[in-house]
Amino acid sequence: MNVLLAVLWKDLLSEWRSRDRVVSMLLFSLLVVVIFHFALPPGPPAQAQALAPGLLWVATLFAALLGLNRAFALELENDALSGLALAPVDRGWIFLGKAIANFVLIVVVQVVTAGAFGLAFGAPVLAHPVGFALVLGLGSAGISAAGTLFGAVAVRTRFRELVLALLLLPLLVPVLAAATRATTVLFETGDLDPAPLRLLAVADAVFWISSYLLFEYVLDE
Amino acid sequence: MLALAVALTGAVWALLVVMAPMDAMQGPIQKILYVHVPTAFAAYAAFATTAVAGAFYLWREDEAFDRLALSAAEVGVVLCTLVLVTGPIWAKGTWGRWWSWDPRLTVTLLLWFIYLAYILLRSFTEGSERTARFAAVYGIVGLLAVPLNYLAIDLFGGRAIHPENLSRGSLGEGMGAPFAAGIVAALVAFAYLTCLRFQLEGLRALAARRASLGPP
Repeated sequence: MNVLLAVLWKDLLSEWRSRDRVVSMLLFSLLVVVIFHFALPPGPPAQAQALAPGLLWVATLFAALLGLNRAFALELENDALSGLALAPVDRGWIFLGKAIANFVLIVVVQVVTAGAFGLAFGAPVLAHPVGFALVLGLGSAGISAAGTLFGAVAVRTRFRELVLALLLLPLLVPVLAAATRATTVLFETGDLDPAPLRLLAVADAVFWISSYLLFEYVLDE
Repeated sequence: MLALAVALTGAVWALLVVMAPMDAMQGPIQKILYVHVPTAFAAYAAFATTAVAGAFYLWREDEAFDRLALSAAEVGVVLCTLVLVTGPIWAKGTWGRWWSWDPRLTVTLLLWFIYLAYILLRSFTEGSERTARFAAVYGIVGLLAVPLNYLAIDLFGGRAIHPENLSRGSLGEGMGAPFAAGIVAALVAFAYLTCLRFQLEGLRALAARRASLGPP
């Protein structure tokens, strides 16, 4: 437990001091919003609103990929990753610390991106704050668990940015689909649709538990 | 031994397919069934083998399990490609379009992506022991993602146009035998190809070990 808190605190503190990851992720996701605007056919506002949930999640996922790559690339400096791997502690706790730090980062980026979607696409992001927070939290949790596990894998390969995207995107299709679905229903009717939320919860459980157990094998000296 | 079995089951299967009754509605194109579904079964078997062998590798740290996982993954990707090629041909002839985002189609496509990524991951990782560990982890999580993918597609209306499971009797009379023979032949072919690939990988490991020892 102390290990978890130590890793989490270290990650958040170093991010707070440099702010390079969160700033680049934010800029990237805002750029994606702008790019989407030009990629979509001009049409009535209702059409843009209908597309907003899916685009929001795509922008989040891409920004998350960017941040997850840095999460472990940062540890390569001064060989900090070897230090983590050699620490005589349960690696599951290291995983949890890292994953929660990534989760915080992704949620921060996502909240700002959602605000941008509210302004630019007229998405009703403030209409149902509790439900929306739940959907954002569940979706980001799935991305950060699988992303942390395979971020640690990708950082030890050649072409690490590319490898992380190739590994993660097919695995995260269920999370993306369910989160998009839940957000769409929430924006349209103001209700929480139980089916996608259930799937998000199951996917989160699968990714958190399997990553917690398998992290031991991906951290090497 | 296995090669003989492949030839034998393949011949029986081909004969039965030729003798199978023509589908009243679809005509000869329906015979793609006898290739499409058995290769799909074999591909799923291959991916399951990769995940299970990966788990055994992590548990036992025996390189043979890793070689088996790699062999099955490669054969699985080839079989899965066959499924993804025969499927659209049949679909164009009967459903009128090549690709329909039907649940089973989408899951098969995602599986194909996952195991291609598995093979790429291996080639982008250095060090055989590290490659084996990383690949095992990805193979296991990749298999876990399959049921999730099914659930995800259900959310999007479940526009299933694939026929129901065969146990519910969607096969016409006289079609059962060639279908069953196809499944046996495809599984035997999968086993044979995986064995060949496994032996090759074993020889490669041996050669690498000898080379590292220097000239005799």
